[in-house]
Parts: sequence; structure tokens; C-alpha cells
Amino acid sequence: MSSPELSGGGAQRIARTLGRADPRHSAPSGVWGMALFLCAEVALFGTIIGSYFYLESVDRSWPPHGVEKPEVLLPVLATAYLLLTLLPIHLAARASRRGRRGRTVAAIAVGLAAQCGYLAWQILLFSSDLHKFSPRQSAYGSVYFTMLAVHHAHVLLGLALDLALISQLLAKGLTRYWLIAVRNLALYWYVVGALAVCVLFTQISPSL
Amino acid sequence: MATTVPREGQTYVKRLELIWAPRPGLLGWLTTTDHKRIGILYFFTSLLMFGAGGVEALLMRTQLLGPHSHVISPRVYDEMFTMHGITMIFLFVIPMTTGAFGNYLLPLMIGARDMAFPRMNAVSYWIYLCSAIFMYISLAGGHAPNAGWFDYVPLASKRFDPGVNIDFYGFGLIFNSLSSTAAAINFIVTIFKMRAPGMSLNRMPLFCYAFLAASFALLFALPALSLAALFLELDRNLGFHFYDPAHGGSVLLWQNLFWIFGHPEVYIIILPAFGIATSIIPTLTHRRMVLFPLVALAEVMVAFLGFGVWAHHMFTVGLPTSATIYFAAASLIIVIPSAIQLFAWIATILTGKPDFKTPLLFIVGFIIYFILGGLSGITLAAIPFDQQVHDSYYVIAHFHMVIFGAAVFPILGGMYYWFPKVTGRMYSERAGKASFWLTFLGTLVTFFPMHILGLLGMPRRNYTYPAHMGWTLMNFIESIGAYMLAAGLLMIVLNLLISLVFGQETDDPFHGDTLEWSTSSPPAPYNFVVIPTVTTPYGMYDTEDRRRDNKRLARGEGLLDEGHETPMTTAQDADLVEILEMPPHSIWPPVCALLLAGMFAMLLLVHYWIAGAFLVLAGMALLAWHSHEEQA
Repeated sequence: MSSPELSGGGAQRIARTLGRADPRHSAPSGVWGMALFLCAEVALFGTIIGSYFYLESVDRSWPPHGVEKPEVLLPVLATAYLLLTLLPIHLAARASRRGRRGRTVAAIAVGLAAQCGYLAWQILLFSSDLHKFSPRQSAYGSVYFTMLAVHHAHVLLGLALDLALISQLLAKGLTRYWLIAVRNLALYWYVVGALAVCVLFTQISPSL
Repeated sequence: MATTVPREGQTYVKRLELIWAPRPGLLGWLTTTDHKRIGILYFFTSLLMFGAGGVEALLMRTQLLGPHSHVISPRVYDEMFTMHGITMIFLFVIPMTTGAFGNYLLPLMIGARDMAFPRMNAVSYWIYLCSAIFMYISLAGGHAPNAGWFDYVPLASKRFDPGVNIDFYGFGLIFNSLSSTAAAINFIVTIFKMRAPGMSLNRMPLFCYAFLAASFALLFALPALSLAALFLELDRNLGFHFYDPAHGGSVLLWQNLFWIFGHPEVYIIILPAFGIATSIIPTLTHRRMVLFPLVALAEVMVAFLGFGVWAHHMFTVGLPTSATIYFAAASLIIVIPSAIQLFAWIATILTGKPDFKTPLLFIVGFIIYFILGGLSGITLAAIPFDQQVHDSYYVIAHFHMVIFGAAVFPILGGMYYWFPKVTGRMYSERAGKASFWLTFLGTLVTFFPMHILGLLGMPRRNYTYPAHMGWTLMNFIESIGAYMLAAGLLMIVLNLLISLVFGQETDDPFHGDTLEWSTSSPPAPYNFVVIPTVTTPYGMYDTEDRRRDNKRLARGEGLLDEGHETPMTTAQDADLVEILEMPPHSIWPPVCALLLAGMFAMLLLVHYWIAGAFLVLAGMALLAWHSHEEQA
């Protein structure tokens, strides 16, 4: 997300510019940009989940004959684990607001490691499911695997963002520009976490 | 009248010119992040696409000029009507309105020096250009999409369309939607965060409300299209079964997803046109807009209600009666905000002192066609009537009245209206009026008889027709109308091109009411010497504001001349909160777009690993883009 760098002007310069400064809190445009991008992502997942239930409504047997109902325990545990990994990201955002670069980097690194574990776990569950049924077998398989794959792609993108941010924070320091980036990273992970819960309930809905 | 820079301000002007000087030559255009240059790039690219879509339309009308005609082959005819729809919707109207008009004018109207995300703005353009080339390569190679612009399955499935034609459609639209999504985000943030100090939401021009509503609609509608296309490609290339009823899929899933996007899309197309109309009408009628707050609310309501009516395109597919009644009622409710705007435009013209210059003539034409298209829209919301005329030329007549008459006419009027602003020269009024009448009559003669043909039972997309059906005369008239229309459009382009060189120099010929007219024509790269302050919705009517700007300039206040700077304000009241340093230029947007084009090309060629490599490279280019920010 492109965001203009904030100049070091501050309130004094603003006051000089127009004779007044507004001290009220106002989110930077970079955060607005990320929030709107995430709105589009929510719409995307909403459409996938809507498609899942639409296909369920037109198919008499869901899941189709020969396909077991989805497992509940392991996906629930995996999602709970993902939600726990949001904690270090949240701490990173807090540390960045206090200007602590070292703690910010360390917290993101912990989050990255934990989220890599989550993705690895999900890939194992995904391949285990692939051994049981295929997306080429039925519409159920198609939408089930596509939904999960899109979710995992978002986790992978989050990992790439973690990694990119760590490298930039180490190289450039905690400037205002990268401070906004840390805030955006946290926002991204919160939304991915919330979407993961929606995906989970959709995934396990035939077993509930 | 544009504000004249006082002598004391000339030193500051020179300083700003040095800071904002664009790179010279081709590299300057490739790396530009200036919203005006990007707007101009969008304008010429989408105009070229309009020409391509127009040629496709003329080929179809020539084919249908008489019965049993074989001007083009049935295969080419299928490709023509498909590419015509795709081009006009995705590659002309949206890029022309949001890309060209929005990019060029919106920051000027709100008193900003650039869009909120200038490099994202550039990448939107380059992705749009690459996606247009991507789709037109298919036509050059004889494999253009051929299942209609809404690409219904099972016709578009691998079984019935085994070539790569549909894959160009699927990947091309996903690629194109990246551009529109980025543009929508950029417009929303620009409107909320970059307005001039004092321009609270209730003082924002109606043009901006229209673009805000269209941007929100784009943001939430496009995922449905992208997902529908993704499902289609998974079905076609990997053997999935989303749209395959034999394996639990549903062909209606495509229709639902497509129209969840497709109907808001109609309002995405028409809302910017409303915005253009609400800019031209007050200026050329010399009065303020009637019902300003209600018109603003109506623009937002149209976009919102547009999401609840998609299934009125599906009245014949066997939906439950309760569902069809709901969607018919919801479709009729849209009449309310549309009528509010319509009556406000008419009331403003009737109670003002209209000066029927060319831009206003096009707006009057727009109002007439909007009424005609709206009335046929009401008939189509009536379920039994819709079931009778579904897939006939009546539907073609309706949406061309709305999309060409009501969406393109304001674009044409806007081209005339802002031509002096963009070029600093005046167009020929006489040629402008002549071009209006030719275009207006051409539109009427081309599209009105289609209502009759539809009622006579002529189905859409027919390659040809037998002589005894009674369709010959109407088809002949329509084809003549199409040539008239093409002549009118050519006349507009020629008028503007000739005026670009020989037109009389001018600054503000219409005494426009919004802030873009407060600066020079064409505007300097920094837009405004002094950041304007605003206390009314009509920035140029409040002369005291402009006088105060000049005083501040003389005192050297409000200049923001320490770099590529622009103010950031609060979302609601537009109180100044930050001074932003904007990136001056960047090579990374075109690089990113090219890498993404490589990825989609590889997906098309079923080289998934190479496509993945292109995606990784695009990600690295994005990282480089952000690394550069630190050094800027």
C-alpha cells in the first residue's frame, strides 16, 4: 500500500500554514487505504462463503455420497492457534507506537514463526483432505478446497508482509512511514483472523 | 475567473515550479505520478478503446443492415458483440469516467495537489493499459472472447468453448479489476482525507459525491466478478465443478455472481455521469443546484440500492415467485433517488438562466435519454413484461439508452466543458453544437427502433435474419443511425483536436463554480500556488475566500513549498491535520504492471510455476517501491 511519508512539520508548521492546527486524532491515509483494501477482501470472502451455501442449497447431498463430513476438532484448534498468533502482532503494533524498534521487530518475528507453524499445520490438514476427496470430484470439493486455498493464500501474504516489514524496520528504522506499515500489518492480521473464523464455521458446517 | 497570482507571489511560484517540475520526455510520462498526466493517459487510452468498440459496433450494424447478409462470418460476429460489450464497459466508460475525469478533476475540485496514493494511481493506469492490450491480443490472434459480455455458462464452459477465447475473458477481467479496485480505494481516501481545509462534507462538490458513491460500489462489487471469473477458470483449466450441474454445481451460480457485480456496475457507470451533469448544470444555468443535499444523498442511495436488484436480470431462470417480486420491487425503488436527481436537474435548468452552450446541450440530451431509458427500465422491472421481451432487442434498446444516452452523453458534454481547463484553449462552439445534434439524432435513430424490433420478437445476438420477418426496415434505419452517430462522434474528436492547435486561448470561459477554475488553465503541476480554503460548496462563487487566498499568498502563508507537499485534513470537517510529502515520480508502477501482465499471460498459457515466479517478482517490485519511499 502506497502511503505518502509524513513530513516532520507537525503542529507548529500547520499553524504557520493556515493559522490553526487541529489536535484531534485522525487516522493516516495509509491506514484508510489498508482498511478499504480489507473491505474488498471481506467482500471476496463473503462471496466465497455465499457461493458455498448457494451450492449447498442446490445439491441434495452435501457433502456428496462417498465424502465424509468434515473433521471439527483439528480445524477448530488450528484456528484458535491462529488467533493466538495475533497476540505478538498486536504487541508489535503497541511497541511501535512507543517507538521501540527492537521490541517491534522481535514481536513480528515471533508472530512470523508462529504463523509459519499455522500455515504448515493447515497445509498438512489440506493435503490430508486431498487424500480423502478431490476438488475435481464434485462442486462440494471445488468450493471447499478453493475457500481454504484462498484463506491460506491470505495467510501466506501475511507472512510475506511480516518478513518484508522486519527487513525494512531493520534497514530503515522505525520512521513514521514504517510505523504506519506496522499498524497496517496488525490491521491485516486482525481481519485475516476474523475471516479465518468465518471460513472455519463454513468448513465445518455440515458436521454441526 | 481563475485567481491571478499577485506580484509578491511570483517568487513562490518559481520555487514551486522547480519543486514540481516533471521529468522531460517519454521517461517523464512512464514514471509520472501526477494525477493530471495520469488522467490524460487514461483519457487517450480509453478514447482509443472507444474507437475500437465503435468499430466493432459498426461492423455488427453493417452485418445487420439487410437480411441474409455475410459481411463478417458468424465466428467474427460472436467475437464482435462480445468484445464490443467488454470494451465499452470495462475499457472505455469506467476508465474514461473514473480514470480520466476523476483523476484529472477530482484533486483540483477538492483543492488538493495530488491523489492520496500517487504511485498506486499510476499502477492503476498501467494495469488498465496492460489488461486492455491483453484482451485485444486475443482479437488480433483470432481467439477473442465470444460468449457475450456476460459470458453465461454452460456456453462459456470448456465443453462448448474449448479454445482460449474465454480464458482471455476470465484472466483479462481479473487483471482489469485489480486496476479498478486500486482506483476505487484511491478515490475514497482522496475524497475523505485530501480535501482543502474548510471543505467539510456538506461543502464538497456533488461531482465528488458521485465519484465517492461509484468508488464504494466498485470496491464491493468487483470481488464478485473476480471470484466468478476465478471459478470459471478453475472449472475450465483444472476440472473443477462450480458451474457443472452434473457434479453438484450450478450454472445459476455464475449468473448470480455476475449480476451481483453487473447491476451495481450499471450505477458505477452512470454515477460519474451524474457527477458531470451536476457540475455543468449550475455553471451554465448561472444558479446553484436545486436540492443540493438531497441530490448528494440520492447519488449515494443509488449506489447502495444497486446492490439489491441483481436478480431482475434473471426473471426467466425459474426463481421462486417471492424472490422475483422482491427484486422487481427493489428495482422500482431505485426510481426514487433517480427521480430526485432528475427533478433537481430539470428544476435547476428551468429556474436558472440557461446558456445552451455545447456542454449543456449534451446534458439536456442526457436527461432526455435518461428518461427514455428509465421508462423502459420500469417496464423491464414488470415481471410478465420482462419475461416476454427477455433476450430481445428491447433489452438492447433499454441499456443503450441508459449506457450510451445517459452515461456517454455527459462524458461528451464534460469533454467540451473541461477542454478549456485542460488545454487553455476554447473549442469551436458552432462545430460543437453541430456535433451535438448529429450525435443526438444518431443515438435516437440507432437505438429507438430497437424497442420496436424487440417487441416484434427479434432476439439479441442474431447473426442475421430472414427477409420475411418484418425486421428489415428497422434494422436498416438502425444501421444508418449508427453511421450518423459515428459521424457525430468523429466530429467531436476533430473539433477538439483542431481546437487544441487553433482554438482561442482562454482561462475560464464558463465562470465555473468549483475550485478547479480557481487555478490556471491548464493547471500547473502543483495545481494551486496557495492551498485554498473553503467556506461554501461553490468555491468560485465565494469571492471572499479567493481574496483571502491571495492575501495569504502575499504573506507567504499556506504555500507548502518545502517539497512535494499537500495538506491532509480530517474526514468530516476537513480541518488541517498533517502536511504530506508526496512521491514525485516512480518507475515501479509500470514495472509492477508489466510483471502482473506476465503472470496473467503465463496463467493463460498454463505455465503455473512461471506465473508464480512473475507474482514473486511483482511482490519484490512492490518492496522496492516502498524502499524508495524512505529515500524520497
